Amino acid sequence: MSSTKRYWKDLGELDQHPESIKGRENEFPQDLAIDQVLGNSSITGASTGRRDFLKFLGFGLGAATLAACETPVIKSIPYVNKPEDITPGVANWYASTFYDGDDFASILVKTREGRPIHVKGNPRFGINRNPTLAKGSINARMNSSVLSLYDSARLTGPKAKGSDTVTDWAEADKAIAAGLASAAGKRIVVLTNTIISPSTRTAVEAFKAKYPTTEHVQYDTISYSGVTNANLKSFGKRVFPNYDFTKADVIVSVDADFLSSWGSTSEYTWQYATRRNPDQAMNKHFQLEARMSLSGANADVRVPLKVSELPKAVVALHAHISGNSAGADAELMKATASAAKALMAAKGRSLVISGSNNEGVQVLVNSINSILGNYGSTIDLDGHTWFKQGDDAAVAQLVKDMNAGSIGALFIAGVNPAYSLPNAAEFKAGLEKVALSVSFSGYADETASLCSWICPDHHYLESWNDFHPKVGQYALAQPAIRPLFNTRQWQESFLAWSGSTSSYYDHIRSVWQANQAPEMGLFEDNWNMAVHNGVVTMPVTPAATASAFAGDVAAATAAAAKASANAGEFELALYTTEAIGSGQHANNPWLQEMPDPLTKITWDNYVCMSPADVEKLGLNMYLGEKAPASLVTVKAGDKEITLPVVPVPGQKSGTVAIALGYGRGENGEKVGKAACVTDHNGEFKPVGKNAYPFAALLDGAVNYDVVNVTVTSAGATFPVAITQTHLTDMDRHSVVKETSIATYKSGDKRAYNHPHELAVHEDVNGDGVINALDKKPVAEFDLWEEHPVEGVGHRWGLSIDLNGCIGCGACITACNSENNISVVGKDEVRRSREMHWLRLDRYYSSDMTKERAKEEGLGKIDMYLEMEVPSETPTVMFMPVMCQHCNHAPCETVCPVAATTHSNEGLNQMAYNRCIGTRYCANNCPYKVRRFNWFNYVTSDFAEVNPAWDDLGRMVLNPDVTVRGRGVIEKCSMCVQSIQAGKLAAKKAGVPVEDGAIETACSAACGTGAIVFGDLNDKKSKVRGLADSDRSYHMLEEIGVKPNVNYLVKVRNTDEAAAPHA
Amino acid sequence: MANKVIYAVYEDPEQLKDGARKLVSNGIKVKDTWSPFPIHGIDPIIGVKRTRLAIAAFMYGITGTCLALLGMWYMNIFDWPMNIGGKPSQALYKNLPAFIPVTFEFTVLCAAHGMSITYLIRNKTLPGMPARNPDPRSTDDKFIIEVRTGDNHGHSAEAITSLLRQTPVFEINERQY
Amino acid sequence: MHSEAAIREPLILGHKTYHDITQDIVGPIENKAPRGWYVLITIAGLIALYGVGCITYLLSKGIGTWGLNKSVDWAWDITNFVWWVGIGHAGTLISAVLLLFRQKWRMAINRSAEAMTIFAVIMAGTFPLIHMGRLWVGYWVFPLPNQFGSLWTNFNSPLLWDVFAISTYFSVSLVFWYIGLIPDFATIRDKVTKPGMKKVYSILSFGWSGNAKAWTRFEEVSLVLAGVATPLVFSVHSVVSFDFATSVIPGWHTTIFPPYFVSGAVFSGFAMVQTLLLVMRKVMKLESYITVKHVEYMNIVIIVTGSIVGVAYITELFISWYSGVEYESYAFINRATGKYWWAYWAMMTCNVISPQVFWFRSLRRNFAFTFFMSIIVNIGMWFERFVIIVTSLHRDYLPSSWNMFHPTWMDVGTFLGTIGIFFTLYLLFARYFPVLALNEVKSILKVSGESYKKEAAKHHHH
Repeated sequence: MSSTKRYWKDLGELDQHPESIKGRENEFPQDLAIDQVLGNSSITGASTGRRDFLKFLGFGLGAATLAACETPVIKSIPYVNKPEDITPGVANWYASTFYDGDDFASILVKTREGRPIHVKGNPRFGINRNPTLAKGSINARMNSSVLSLYDSARLTGPKAKGSDTVTDWAEADKAIAAGLASAAGKRIVVLTNTIISPSTRTAVEAFKAKYPTTEHVQYDTISYSGVTNANLKSFGKRVFPNYDFTKADVIVSVDADFLSSWGSTSEYTWQYATRRNPDQAMNKHFQLEARMSLSGANADVRVPLKVSELPKAVVALHAHISGNSAGADAELMKATASAAKALMAAKGRSLVISGSNNEGVQVLVNSINSILGNYGSTIDLDGHTWFKQGDDAAVAQLVKDMNAGSIGALFIAGVNPAYSLPNAAEFKAGLEKVALSVSFSGYADETASLCSWICPDHHYLESWNDFHPKVGQYALAQPAIRPLFNTRQWQESFLAWSGSTSSYYDHIRSVWQANQAPEMGLFEDNWNMAVHNGVVTMPVTPAATASAFAGDVAAATAAAAKASANAGEFELALYTTEAIGSGQHANNPWLQEMPDPLTKITWDNYVCMSPADVEKLGLNMYLGEKAPASLVTVKAGDKEITLPVVPVPGQKSGTVAIALGYGRGENGEKVGKAACVTDHNGEFKPVGKNAYPFAALLDGAVNYDVVNVTVTSAGATFPVAITQTHLTDMDRHSVVKETSIATYKSGDKRAYNHPHELAVHEDVNGDGVINALDKKPVAEFDLWEEHPVEGVGHRWGLSIDLNGCIGCGACITACNSENNISVVGKDEVRRSREMHWLRLDRYYSSDMTKERAKEEGLGKIDMYLEMEVPSETPTVMFMPVMCQHCNHAPCETVCPVAATTHSNEGLNQMAYNRCIGTRYCANNCPYKVRRFNWFNYVTSDFAEVNPAWDDLGRMVLNPDVTVRGRGVIEKCSMCVQSIQAGKLAAKKAGVPVEDGAIETACSAACGTGAIVFGDLNDKKSKVRGLADSDRSYHMLEEIGVKPNVNYLVKVRNTDEAAAPHA
Repeated sequence: MANKVIYAVYEDPEQLKDGARKLVSNGIKVKDTWSPFPIHGIDPIIGVKRTRLAIAAFMYGITGTCLALLGMWYMNIFDWPMNIGGKPSQALYKNLPAFIPVTFEFTVLCAAHGMSITYLIRNKTLPGMPARNPDPRSTDDKFIIEVRTGDNHGHSAEAITSLLRQTPVFEINERQY
Repeated sequence: MHSEAAIREPLILGHKTYHDITQDIVGPIENKAPRGWYVLITIAGLIALYGVGCITYLLSKGIGTWGLNKSVDWAWDITNFVWWVGIGHAGTLISAVLLLFRQKWRMAINRSAEAMTIFAVIMAGTFPLIHMGRLWVGYWVFPLPNQFGSLWTNFNSPLLWDVFAISTYFSVSLVFWYIGLIPDFATIRDKVTKPGMKKVYSILSFGWSGNAKAWTRFEEVSLVLAGVATPLVFSVHSVVSFDFATSVIPGWHTTIFPPYFVSGAVFSGFAMVQTLLLVMRKVMKLESYITVKHVEYMNIVIIVTGSIVGVAYITELFISWYSGVEYESYAFINRATGKYWWAYWAMMTCNVISPQVFWFRSLRRNFAFTFFMSIIVNIGMWFERFVIIVTSLHRDYLPSSWNMFHPTWMDVGTFLGTIGIFFTLYLLFARYFPVLALNEVKSILKVSGESYKKEAAKHHHH
């Protein structure tokens, strides 16, 4: 029934007032002249007044002019209704998890306006959290992973083999379903990296349910099968144990680079560091190894051995510990004696690990540890990890079956076998025999490009996922951004193909809900808390009986002997670098440009060789801009590789080492931004070469030690980009200070941290006479009346503990990410023009010292020449160097336009806009930390390497930090943007800035706590305490520039007293 | 009787001086002399006063010194003092050492240019000014004395020329004006 | 008239009258230039063009086209700058200092020496400009009121002192030079017949008339300008040396730099004057004005300043050892024996050892040999600056930053270019400007002219 109500506009209408009726006809109360002007074609006809017309004309003209002068605007759409949790200009942090099959870490993702721009360790939760510092320990690959999210080479959707355009998921699903149908009866294999995600497993199970012939094969790019198999043999558990380095007073590592690449490094690094504080019980670290590894560089005692001697060394060590020296080599018994002695003295508080992937060797190691009673203290088998479940034997079998044609369908997730398998060729051949092959890779990489379908997975920062890294440890990954492209998480694909319609997110929730113990209460609360923290910890119920060692030592010894049999003139050790790892991050420009901690080389892999061998073969010893490296060919059987040679002091003569993970995209696959670049010959080539083919299956595990190779000069040279051309510290004690624990414990500061003093004309020491003994520290001297710094407001400073720094370089990439530092590419780095604000100086010790020269009566010239030569078995110093923010900064004084001045908070400020680029400041910086923009690095010329160029890569830039243009100087700002944000937060909260509330990118990234940031004027702050400690010194103190960065003397746990530094 | 101007042309500065002396000793006023290079010792003879350019230069210099110090004090001390390498920006005298070079240079700058400009103006030597030397040879190898009968009443032109003839004069030109 | 001792060698050879002098100098300006001149200016012009090309490329691409790196942020650019400034010094020294000392022999050479100064300083000024990362904001080095509020220059910076020193030096030399030129332009004006030239030179001569008062003022101005230019010329290279002396870099942080730099400057300056004059006296036929005596005098200056420089080098070495400072001593050991030893020994040979041959009268009066030596000295002085700048920077405090510097073709191109431009300007000067200070030379003709001295001698005997 229609409504009888009538609504009227006004009273006039109510009583049908004629005016009102008329008024209703036209919307506007009176006619607007504009209609006539614009409506009529002929202005003359219009009744518009001349004045009106001129007004319109004027308006039109003005409008047109304004529109014309408007600067081009990049459109940004404002929020229609603002999400409550996003405030423009304010960063949001999300707890998530990084897991790529090689490394695991709980992380925090920093997002700005919805874009992830920075990754750091989760300071509150997770196995990589350093509880003593409340810092999450992560490595360079982890904090650089944010950049790969914005890689323009990522696939934007599913893609069938052969087609060069992506399609939609419906089509892909249809085709794959069809493929699966036709594969019925044949075996279907899901080949993945180690899956530690419960929900992923159930997703695969769901798929199995639909396709019963499905098998799941796990494959670790860097294999640990030797370790896990050994544990199976020894304890009946095929697991990778959980090591606790915090409990280990003595660590003996036989070629296990546990600080850089071996095992779960994000835990080991912080655990190790907590025991390197000389003021507490300091651990003693023995490293027996062939190449100079990061762990070796940090070791207290480093024993260089040939690759083939390493298994023997384990045998010898076992002989020492077990007291049964059957089959042990006398030489190596000697070499391992001191380590064994230390171990015996620390039963149950020690740890022996081996980097070998040989089952026999690992069984012996297990035996040693069980004899020492380390199980249950430093090694935990009950609360073991779920890492490294890969089974090389199974993978090998799979390749056989593929070639045999018995595999109907193959699904590949998280691994790149066509690149990383030792027998990649066979794998490729087999892949052609597989009717349906699906890769979930985000790139059309070596494997994916050969598969019949690529169903690109999300980047992990776009994904939901859950993890079960260890018994009792659970973690969650939550997306920090909506998927950039039409990708689909691979678990979700499995769900879809197994007929489920639920999203992977719902799937995870259901799995978790199903597995939640009833007494845990409301699921929603637990779930939200879990997502918020990113981590859930469950109580571990220890096993009733500690599993006893049941390995066959004799067989193991035999196997170990086999591993080192028929050694040749040269032996090859394959390793992974700090930056590139197993190779899946080779497409990350930040990582490619991150100098190797030891060789300081970027953008290449190479043959590490001992200087003695380099000399013997007559190859180039000193490398630099115009001093290219010699190329050599390394042959092992039918495999060969030609790479530049880099002399590495400390490497055992007769051993060469080559890094894995390079040479991605050899056949022109689009594997990502920086994996391939244009080289010095103008050819677009992969960075480095692939060394995986040298690995070989031995006793059911991939063996990375090749004991018999030939090395021949290729008679050519190859330019390498090296950031530090000089090797030694030239015995300059005001640069690096190192001492032994014995000297340190002696308590006399002057013995290991001698202050710089000048004689003065007053009786300082009160002996009644004024003579050369009356000295004052240089810090007290001043040419003029100082600007007050002590106790006035804030004075930001850094304290860097040379003991805590293990040289991992995570700070470098963190700094890159926080401060938008340009990547400049190999050629510019070769010219020593890398832009890193924070660098990691590496110094090898030399046999020649001032003291020794004095003793030998050596002339200065010869002395300095010999100082340039590192000793054959050097100790290594790592020293992070950034702007020292001097209170008497030489750089400030010389700038003609005052572009760099001192803030009243102790910061050395750089105003890019004011800089005219005379570079005088850079010359006058004693620490050489200033970087000049030689070109406009943010142009197409550098598009190949510099992510800040292309539109996608640009999204990673930190909006708080200017991108520097051509011709200006830049340098460490001590993350002034974070300082300001922290001060603002404190101001809003109405409290003083509390210590630790502000972190620089480097200090936040430093899980070992070597870099500490804080307010030096805050007497209670940690950094102040460190600055006042006995080990604290200023680099180049005697030149009186008064830095706000101080260093703590490195103390090695060696018994002999170090020579005092005068 | 119309006034005459007499130009006595000599070939040597010394001879010119002799001529000038003769005239002056006979109470004849020499208007001016023209020569290709300075004739040392002519000024007192014909009564040219000493120039005060040097004093001017000194004044300009002092001005420069004050300006420089004032400017630097204003910019680096008063208007916007900064902490530059920890150097004192509290007072001029504290930071003075750093200001010395610029002060000196600016002093020289002002003295030199101030005086040069004054010199050009006083000499009426500026771009586009007409040349006033009576005889083009006076910038080459001739030395000329200018005497005006107008300045020397009681001395007839003839008397003057005859006096000049007694000196080794090269030639004598008379002109009406 | 005052005469000078017959024993002094004449400074003007042959029998010349005032008119002859005018003729000798103004003649070439009117007439067609000698073929040699055309040959030279073609070569110089081409090199200059190449240089301009290089500089254009440099400015369009960036400083990275030079071979500099993170440790060696200055190399050829500032080396060339200091080298050119140094060369400039001779001109001012000759015209100002020798004027104060009433050295007559300066008169034949001061004009061209000053011209050299002007052009050298222009070349010198080029480098601080083009070495800037952002030349387009280079004007910020001047304390200008600006839209950024109270944003002034930093008067603590030696580089800013340079700005004032170099600009003052350049403008004052220019004025000094031009004021001297005015009477000579007048001479040309009254001499030339071509109406076009007459017009040009009458403008250039500012209507100079040469009356008594004008000459009085002229001499006063010359004297006072010489008076202020003398401390100026010493200050300029001192200030340049402050760029290094006030720094903290071992090998730069040296208190003897100011005198050391100034003497080095005079040293190289005189060498360059020789290079130019010996060519010019041939090409422009000035044998009777630029005599062996002039050359000998200059060679004496060279040997004196060369020896001062030598002493400075030795002092540096001594102090580096005596100070006992680790970095200092290494810096100098590295100079002499390090990767750049060849540069150091090139410097030592060219600057310290080779000038000593001028103790032999025959050699210092030998034109060909002098010319050869002048080149050697200029090479040596270039290396001195290279050694100071590059070898100090390439290995300073932290061994981690030690680095080599390798020049690119752009480094070479920009340097050659400035040499080309310099010679082009100088040749133009030689063609169209009075290359001798006519009025001054004339003023000494009767005193130091050969024939007149003979005359005077005869009278003496009777």
